Amino acid sequence: MNRSKSSKLFVALATIFILHNVIGETVHAGASPAVGTVQKMSGPASIVRQGQTISASVGQEIFENDILQTGRDGSMGVVFSDETLLSLGPESVLVVDQYVFAPRQGKFSIVLKMLRGTAAYLSGLISKLTPESAHFETPSASIGIRGTHFVVKVEEK
Amino acid sequence: MKQWKIFLVVFALLDLTVGCSAKRDVIVPPPESRNPVIASPTNRDLIVLLPDPDGKVGTIRVTTKGGSQTLDKPGHATQVEHVNEPSTDPKPLGEREITSVFGAALSAQPDLKARFVSFVLLFDRDTTNLTHDSKKMLPEVVRTIRNRKPSEVYVTGHTDRVGAADYNLTLSSRRADTVRDFLVSTGVTSSALVVSFHGESMPLVHTEDEVAEPRNRRVEVIVR
Repeated sequence: MNRSKSSKLFVALATIFILHNVIGETVHAGASPAVGTVQKMSGPASIVRQGQTISASVGQEIFENDILQTGRDGSMGVVFSDETLLSLGPESVLVVDQYVFAPRQGKFSIVLKMLRGTAAYLSGLISKLTPESAHFETPSASIGIRGTHFVVKVEEK
Repeated sequence: MKQWKIFLVVFALLDLTVGCSAKRDVIVPPPESRNPVIASPTNRDLIVLLPDPDGKVGTIRVTTKGGSQTLDKPGHATQVEHVNEPSTDPKPLGEREITSVFGAALSAQPDLKARFVSFVLLFDRDTTNLTHDSKKMLPEVVRTIRNRKPSEVYVTGHTDRVGAADYNLTLSSRRADTVRDFLVSTGVTSSALVVSFHGESMPLVHTEDEVAEPRNRRVEVIVR
């Protein structure tokens, strides 16, 4: 490899590196890892992250504090890293309020806040390993989960 | 506050003119309890417990400011009508109704193919000896771990509530270690294992203190 080629390569790599970091930072400030991925969706569905609305797509990562929302005829299914399965029906809004799955440090927490619409929840390892750290909340109730499967509807007034 | 007062007056008038006839979706509390907090119409939540894909049924506890309600039967539903009251008594909800309200959410549920598998191994009272039936489950546990390689294996020890909490914490730790040692002896690498223990604090079956409960003397093994 001659000199000019290798310096071009260096510049290209450096650019990729910087871009990657800059984009990474703006998309998700801080180093917290993704907590889940979108595995299914249809119709209008989006994610609100730090005030910005991103339309959802299969394979897209989910982070703590994301707001998941679906429009008319929309639906979305998410797999969390502990294998909790969450899906939303149409016209639904749900906040991923807290999510920590660090089994080797013994740290677990999943708190989902449903504001509107319909959802199905199938619990994963967090509620298996430490049931008291799994909560599903609506504006008027809190649902404690002992390893199970349920559906919720929240009607907005 | 002013808005609430107007709202309440409207409610009161509606109540007088329409009566209780067709207005089923409007919640009108009894007159003596008409203060803004109680009269505040809530989001009406509907919560339905479903069986797990493997047929087992867990428990959910729905808590409002007014109290709690436990659902432990598949297809049973509870409704939150007021923040300040417990949700309604659990009642079965028909499959057609479940599908009509939750069909879209349920069909968006991600696929289950490679989900974790869990085993509950039981122990004889106050020992680290597996019960006869649980010993017979061990080959299946080992096979599952091998088939899923590379796998993560969570081993979690528990006891029932007979004896002091400190003693039970140690006992649950020894039970978890017994299962870990067995798995390592069959060739499971120790880096794949996450071992923890909770003494009597996380019963599978709720009991009063000092009650012997064979189903709580256990080590849970979760393989994924």
